[in-house]
Amino acid sequence: MTDQEKKGRLWTLFHVFFKISAVSVGGGLTMLPLMSKEFSEDRKWITEEEMVDVVAIVQSVPGIIAVNMAILIGQRAAGLAGVFAAAVGVVLPPVIVIIAIAALLFQLSGNETMDHIFLGVRAAVSALILLSVIKMGRSVLKGTIPIVIALLGFLLLVLFDVDAVGMIIGAAIVGLGLGGIQYLRLKKASGGAGK
Amino acid sequence: MNLLQMYFLFAKIGLFTFGGGYAMIPLFQVELVNNWHFMTNAEFANFVALAQVTPGPVGLNAATYIGYQCGLRTLGGIGGGALGGVIGTLGVMTPSLIVVTLIAYFMQIFKDNPVVKALLSGIRPATLGLIAAAVIFFAETSVFTAPLRTLWTKGEHFGLCWQGCVIFAAVLVLSLKWKVSPVWLLLGSAVASYLLFLI
Repeated sequence: MTDQEKKGRLWTLFHVFFKISAVSVGGGLTMLPLMSKEFSEDRKWITEEEMVDVVAIVQSVPGIIAVNMAILIGQRAAGLAGVFAAAVGVVLPPVIVIIAIAALLFQLSGNETMDHIFLGVRAAVSALILLSVIKMGRSVLKGTIPIVIALLGFLLLVLFDVDAVGMIIGAAIVGLGLGGIQYLRLKKASGGAGK
Repeated sequence: MNLLQMYFLFAKIGLFTFGGGYAMIPLFQVELVNNWHFMTNAEFANFVALAQVTPGPVGLNAATYIGYQCGLRTLGGIGGGALGGVIGTLGVMTPSLIVVTLIAYFMQIFKDNPVVKALLSGIRPATLGLIAAAVIFFAETSVFTAPLRTLWTKGEHFGLCWQGCVIFAAVLVLSLKWKVSPVWLLLGSAVASYLLFLI
């Protein structure tokens, strides 16, 4: 890649991510078809298989999905500079739009009409999140152990105000421990078979 | 809270968010409502609801809104709010920029790593529990009239809000049966709620 090409790629990364971020509504994964079209189909900077990897990885790394997609695709397309070009592109529209809205909307509560309107919106948000829990649950809750972890985490949070970060760390340790036990068992079994 | 504390608080939340914006909600709620008393549950829920209807990825919108509110409360004025919005967003994305950039370079190693798999086998269901807790968190300020745990502490009067119940049920049905888009459901629920309270 020549310097000229790289500069062109960085600019494209920036403005395509800026555009996608500005028009998408909802969670980060809704950006996926648009990204796939721009970078995989149209420009061929990323293969279809790499796109599949991006989707898998984006859901298993910390952070906001939209930002993580920008980082992974930016890196594939133009290295470290690409990471920053794509990341800046993806965050600028929300930062600008939200600050403008927040500055205009001085008070959301305190006014009775606003309180009534937002009560309904909160009820709707609650139902929408429940739907995504059901959808996620179908793929995550396979077996007894995941069900126990999810249920325990849920109850601890709702009923006892436990620290959410502590809960995530605890669950990671449990996962590591169980994985370790499984590994030792497999090793023992294969070692026994070898004798 | 000063700006540096705020930056690190948002970075901590970014580091422990797995699987998108919804998982971030209880993390923010614990810190800002329970620990720092920056806002009430209902106010916090309003910002997250607003983040859903404004264009842009939910996680980024929520981080900017919440950052704005933190800036507004510590520094004051629109300038303080704007600075808070920028710092909050930078904070939340800092762990991604470090961790995910590294992963991008070592994608193949990360993908099939047994240790990563084991860690995620615990983190994934825990995150699901976290998101389920977010359902209750929103319901506690809309469908119910008080937090669930007041059922036995008997502090506040626990009950149901019928307007909230109607909208909750309607959204479930409209989404499951007719696949109505979330944006329309949220806008419709605002109008419906206004009308139901007139009855």
